[in-house]
Amino acid sequence: MASTTFGRYSFRDTFIHRLDARNKIFLMILIMVGIFFQFHLWSTALLLSGIYFAALIVIMVISKVNFFSLFKSLGAMWFFIIILMVIYIFIPNDNYYLPVAFRIGSLEVRWDAFCQTGYIILRLIIMISLTMVLTSTTKPMDMTNAFEWYMLPLKPLHFPSHEIAMTLSIALRFIPTLLDETERIMKAQASRGVDFNHGGLFKRMGAVIALIIPLFVSALERSEELANAMIVRGYDPSAKRTKYRLLRFSWRDIIAFLLVGSAFALIIVLFVYDNNGSDLDLIYRLFQVKGF
Amino acid sequence: MPCMSKLEIKNLCFSYDKVTPIIDDVSISIEAGSFVAFLGHNGSGKSTLAKLIVGLLDKNKGQIFFDDEEITKKNIKKLQTKTALVFQNPDNQFIGATVEDDIAFGLENRQMPHEQMQDEINKFAESVNMLDYLKKEPINLSGGQKQRVALAGALILKPEILILDEATSMLDPQGKNTVRELIDKIHQENPNLTIITITHDIDEALLCDKVFILSKGKLVKSGTPQEVLRDEKALLEVKLDMPFIYRLEKKLSETGIDSQAENLEQLVEDIWASK
Repeated sequence: MASTTFGRYSFRDTFIHRLDARNKIFLMILIMVGIFFQFHLWSTALLLSGIYFAALIVIMVISKVNFFSLFKSLGAMWFFIIILMVIYIFIPNDNYYLPVAFRIGSLEVRWDAFCQTGYIILRLIIMISLTMVLTSTTKPMDMTNAFEWYMLPLKPLHFPSHEIAMTLSIALRFIPTLLDETERIMKAQASRGVDFNHGGLFKRMGAVIALIIPLFVSALERSEELANAMIVRGYDPSAKRTKYRLLRFSWRDIIAFLLVGSAFALIIVLFVYDNNGSDLDLIYRLFQVKGF
Repeated sequence: MPCMSKLEIKNLCFSYDKVTPIIDDVSISIEAGSFVAFLGHNGSGKSTLAKLIVGLLDKNKGQIFFDDEEITKKNIKKLQTKTALVFQNPDNQFIGATVEDDIAFGLENRQMPHEQMQDEINKFAESVNMLDYLKKEPINLSGGQKQRVALAGALILKPEILILDEATSMLDPQGKNTVRELIDKIHQENPNLTIITITHDIDEALLCDKVFILSKGKLVKSGTPQEVLRDEKALLEVKLDMPFIYRLEKKLSETGIDSQAENLEQLVEDIWASK
């Protein structure tokens, strides 16, 4: 069950927990877009990534998110890093900035391949961590409410925004219940002699069928009972409903918005400068050392 | 003028496939404020009857009246607001992400203004002793606690008829007892609330004002628990057992101790008094 704790909501009273879910989602998207602006010089790009990463650490410290679970989940990324390295080494590219690192036969491996891999991995880590910060500081209920709010403009087009939000929140609510059920069925089937851990591919697929079919049957039965329970309590998807949980935009949201917004504006200014003829050498400007 | 009963069912018939009847010509009359039990074995049609009453299923034939007003397709939405149903499985009727969200679900549907919700939720959570658990998620609650939340979620809609569809059958003995005590308390505190409990637990039916026994979709017997539940032969025919206390009294009568006690204390008194 360790994987489910990753990015799972945990109640803490921090600045970031108290932000409006709508604001958090918007700012997260803004940061992700900002991260993906590509700069010409590797030194500039990597320096900026380092700054983003530092900012991320600050955010994680403020929101008291569990670092440990992040790094545990990054363990699985080694495979991905190796694949990226191989791709960048073997696929030719016409705009190299850096000298040759080494040769494999007639193939020239340039430092760019390593920079590119590192750059992508860094951005990925930042994206994953940001998502984790979002999900572990926002109640699933608030998150679905926020999604519903963002889908509101589509309502006149008969887009089922409320239905989608309700479906999402029920799906989230039933994840632990269904995990429990899965475990129970696995034990029940194991006691009848189904082996989930040994045997070849086909044997294991057969074993999984013994799990999936009862799980689906029970999920369908549950859904029918749940639908009945909802109808009895007066639920009508097309009718107007009031809300117990309201999303509130407070002074905290304005501060967060200004901070992230100005950082984003700065990135855009740097990006425009970088693409207007001269490549931006941030290292040289800051430390008077020539970048690469 | 027809008699003033809360719920009147006349010649109700229902079947899923129009061949095998699930409910077969059932007529029942329930008085306002009473606490009645629908008793029957698995497959006797008692849960189906509950679904017909709250309008989850559509009857084939017959009539159902609330306060002498017949349920039709037109007024079903309005009349549905007078009924509440608590189901058997605690997990499958927990809709909200937390206890407070779940209790609020019905209020949101009724379009209660946001400002009034919190007081109402606190009041009803308090009445089922779940006030300290408002922020808890269902995964952290026991079955009995979940059923108490379900009761609060049903009662907050201020129903006139509360139906409990085997609400305690999936609970452990302790949870069963707390929920039963709670139902008893609800019955005492709301003299106008009609409670229908659907059960195959004969000892639960003993506490009711009136018992209706269903078998194979037919109403086979009705009356007070004393009348109905002492008839061992009739009970055996519908695969039910006599309540423990009546069985005990029957055994005692074989040894010469006669008692018609309705509770254990009375029975003990009678045993002391006998020679």
